[in-house]
Amino acid sequence: MIVTGSDLRRTYGTGEAAVHALDGVDVNIQQGRFIAVMGPSGSGKSTLMHVLAGLDRPTSGTVAIDGTEVTRLDDKALTELRRDKVGFIFQAFNLLPILTAEENILLPLSLAGRSPDREWVDRLIDTVDLRDRLTHRPSELSGGQQQRVAVARALASRPAVIFADEPTGNLDSSSSREVLELLRKAVDEFGQTVVMVTHDHDAAKIADEIIEMADGKIVNGHGPAA
Amino acid sequence: MTRVVLRGLLARRLRLGLTAFAVALGVTLVAGTYVFTDTINASFDTIFTKAYEKTDVVVSPGDAVNGQDDNRAPMPASVLDQVRSTGGITNAEGGIFDFGATVLTPKGKKIGQGGIVASRRDNQRYELFDVAEGKLPSTAGQVAIDKATADRKHLKVGDQVLIAAQTPKQAFRIVGIIRIQGVDSLGGSPVAMLTLPEAQRITGKVGKLDEIDATVRKGTDPQTVKRELTAKLGPSVHVRTGKEEAASQSKDIRDNLGFLQTALLAFAGISLFVGAFIIFNTFSITVAQRAREFGLLRTLGASRAQVLRSVLGEGLFLGFAGAVIGIALGIGLAAGLRALFKAIGFELPSNGTVIASRTIIVSIVVGVVVTMLATLAPAIRATRVPPVAALREGFVASTGRRSRLAFPASIVMLLGGLVLMALGLFGTGSSNRDLTLVGVGAGLMFLGTALVSPRLVPPIAGLIGAPMRGITGRLARENAMRQPGRTAATAAALMVGVALVAFASIFAASARKTIHDYVSNGSHAQFIVQNTDGFSSFSPLAAKRVAQVPGVTKVSPIRFFQGEVGKNKVGMTSVDPATFPDLYRGGGTGQLRTLQPGSAYVSKGYRDDHHPGAVVRVKTATGQTVPLRVAGTYNDKGHLLSDVTIANTQAATDFAAGKDNYVFVAGTGGKATQNAIKATLKSDFPQTEALTNQEFIDDQAGQIDQVLALIYALLALAIIVSLFGIVNTLVLSITERTRELGMLRAIGTSRRQVRKMIRYEAIITAMLGGILGAVLGVVLALLVSQPLDDFKLAIPFGSLIALLILSAVAGVFAAVLPARRASKLDVLEALAYE
Ligand SMILES: Nc1ncnc2c1ncn2[C@@H]1O[C@H](COP(=O)(O)OP(=O)(O)OP(=O)(O)O)[C@@H](O)[C@H]1O
Ligand SMILES: [Mg+2]
Repeated sequence: MIVTGSDLRRTYGTGEAAVHALDGVDVNIQQGRFIAVMGPSGSGKSTLMHVLAGLDRPTSGTVAIDGTEVTRLDDKALTELRRDKVGFIFQAFNLLPILTAEENILLPLSLAGRSPDREWVDRLIDTVDLRDRLTHRPSELSGGQQQRVAVARALASRPAVIFADEPTGNLDSSSSREVLELLRKAVDEFGQTVVMVTHDHDAAKIADEIIEMADGKIVNGHGPAA
Repeated sequence: MTRVVLRGLLARRLRLGLTAFAVALGVTLVAGTYVFTDTINASFDTIFTKAYEKTDVVVSPGDAVNGQDDNRAPMPASVLDQVRSTGGITNAEGGIFDFGATVLTPKGKKIGQGGIVASRRDNQRYELFDVAEGKLPSTAGQVAIDKATADRKHLKVGDQVLIAAQTPKQAFRIVGIIRIQGVDSLGGSPVAMLTLPEAQRITGKVGKLDEIDATVRKGTDPQTVKRELTAKLGPSVHVRTGKEEAASQSKDIRDNLGFLQTALLAFAGISLFVGAFIIFNTFSITVAQRAREFGLLRTLGASRAQVLRSVLGEGLFLGFAGAVIGIALGIGLAAGLRALFKAIGFELPSNGTVIASRTIIVSIVVGVVVTMLATLAPAIRATRVPPVAALREGFVASTGRRSRLAFPASIVMLLGGLVLMALGLFGTGSSNRDLTLVGVGAGLMFLGTALVSPRLVPPIAGLIGAPMRGITGRLARENAMRQPGRTAATAAALMVGVALVAFASIFAASARKTIHDYVSNGSHAQFIVQNTDGFSSFSPLAAKRVAQVPGVTKVSPIRFFQGEVGKNKVGMTSVDPATFPDLYRGGGTGQLRTLQPGSAYVSKGYRDDHHPGAVVRVKTATGQTVPLRVAGTYNDKGHLLSDVTIANTQAATDFAAGKDNYVFVAGTGGKATQNAIKATLKSDFPQTEALTNQEFIDDQAGQIDQVLALIYALLALAIIVSLFGIVNTLVLSITERTRELGMLRAIGTSRRQVRKMIRYEAIITAMLGGILGAVLGVVLALLVSQPLDDFKLAIPFGSLIALLILSAVAGVFAAVLPARRASKLDVLEALAYE
């Protein structure tokens, strides 16, 4: 298992007003799989992603990524874990406007002070098909191109797992397709593990498995070790 | 709309606080200056009013040339007889009040700055002092000293003090402790009260008087007697009624403090100028950030005028709040200044803090007007936000208009500033007007530089940021260049302070070099005797004593004083013609050997019409006009000699300049001789010291450094204000970049890296200000030194580099709070931030 979460609870507020965004979730994600997370709005999908990725701490329960128990780490270790083991793709592309496309792709490596593996980076750039856009700033790129940069950035450090929260939410259908195919390719060709939240049933079809959530619980799909 | 303003203000408390403080600090200095000087003036008013309450008529020496007490010629005692024999006068008495004394503890330690010798009055009505303890002196050898000195040095009745004035150091026994109309001290100088004959003897005023107080017959109008006396005594003395004398002395104090007040207010102006930059910048940023909000207000039907009012309303509130804080701080500052003055030996009297309504009004008006002016441009920009801005994601208020006009405007300002400065520098008008021209010109140069500086941001930021390695360095550089206008305005605020510091340090270095050159080139003496304070005059007996020290071959006293030619004051020097040319060599000073009473040499630059052979009529401190035949001109590169030089003997008889300012000493035997001179001076005239040329240079440089330190301290305020500006801009930029920061943290940027990034950005901004400031400081110094001939401009590169390093350090400090805020951002909240 590359990512496991057991008995995860995340409660916002207290007493009467308490919201149980995660209400006892067990989840196991295998290496090299493409998982789609679906469910109605407010069902806890984003919360689950954040907790699994070490962006948020569960109220109770534990998370482990690649053998490291995330829930025990302090901020510094957590930051390093995110930097080295986790990739993110956001709905709003969240690129740095002051950096070029290439610099954005290499950002996680730069932050770690690592020199990029040129061969790998070249392959990535070709995969996302951005070779002729490398020196452009995000403001000079289309939404689809920006999200492709974001995908490449998530892949650059070869993380243990990539989390994508509605990565196609802001894209038109053809750009969506491109991004989804890219993610698929990452899993098939590079052996990446991808967890993606989506509202789009068509998008979910590209995944290996679908986890469905409702009211902070997993109602269908990947529960305890399959 | 008012509610919108208030809600907006509350939502941005931190920015509000920082911005209000930028105004408040300037106002603090304004209010503090007024409270400080008003308090002192009021205290002196009370003292003088009380002191002259029972005196009907006062006769004092005319200050025909200048009001400097050091140089005021006493009246002959015969004037007293003339007063007494005047009809209507029932009683008159003379007194001594001399500022040229030094009071020492029994162990020989100098007490305080300066020293006053006063004579005891026989008639109590005229007595300025009241007895706090013991009694007033009644025989030679007795002294009463002021309470502040007694308290400070733990001196009691029965103890001894030493007094050195025109006669050598001598011991007196304390018989009383006195106060000045209920106040312990008169400006920190120790006061020694002696009997009249003793006071006259030790101040070198035997047969002379500094003041005559008189009482008129009951029922007679003092004004009538005053008129009669004026007619009888002639123009060489002042005759005033008691009330007028009190007013005149109060006015003297006011005039003396006026300089301090003007200087402090000038520094307050600088702080306010810098504060205005910050307010302008803060409002520009927030208006840009709130473009959508303004768009929405316009969509909902708000008029342009309403939008304008809402932004100006914020400015009004801020200016007012800043002014109120400033007034409160100013009152504290006034107390602080008094404590500071006391600590350095100038204890100023105070009968309670005076907060005049003028202080409050001026402070509030200044705070509000400066803030509103700085808010005007951003407010107008806010009205230009079109309603559609509300609908467009990421709408940024247009800056196109501004940048198109900025370049020509900045050139106009720089040139205008240059012209104004030149007019001021080379002008011959009143010095106040010239100074104002120079100040306004410099202000325009600052504004002009600030306006072009956005263009300079990318290259300079790239340069400063080049050594900042890694991705954090790269991000900091890019962030700094992201909005050049913003970075430039923030840096410009610091630039002003740095430029003035650089300017002051260049001038100080140049003054040091000038002194160094004139002493090392001009002085052919082995030693120089001076007052320990470095400038006051001392008894001519000191030179006579030094001449008797074995190893001393020649002594040559030099005096500085003033005269008046026509309506203009002229700086004068007197020398000993027999010895001076041997001990000092400037251009043409050899001719001074032929000086004799009635003749003078003038400097080459002094008024063209004074060619050799001409007769200059100089009005002297004693009120007479003396004709001097110009024997020739000199061109003293060392600037030791003033415009007109005469012989010491004539200075003493006609100009009341009997005391020496410096004594050049030639001798053999080096250190041993110097020590022997020192020992002699210590035992007889402890207010003087013997220095080698190098020691003299160092001592004079030390005085320059003291003034410099004071200027630095006052400029520090402006620099602190500009650091608030850096903090403010960073905080605002961070708010703007919240999502980016969230993303950076999400993908693995550590808190340290975030802090480092912000710190680097602050350093880039601060150093940008530092570099622009240093360059501008050098330019200003070059300009201002142009009309000063023979002024040796020295650029202290070490200090300038230190200044740049300090700017960087200041940047680090300014970054602390914003960096902490940025690194503490909650990642998820930041990602969700709009
Ligand atoms: N910071 C928060 N404070 C309080 N409640 C929150 C917070 N974040 C999320 N919630 C609540 O937790 C629940 C789950 O939210 P979450 O964002 O995980 O839903 P989601 O499945 O991602 O929804 P969507 O499809 O709309 O993105 C919701 O009821 C939401 O209101
Ligand atoms: Mg969600």
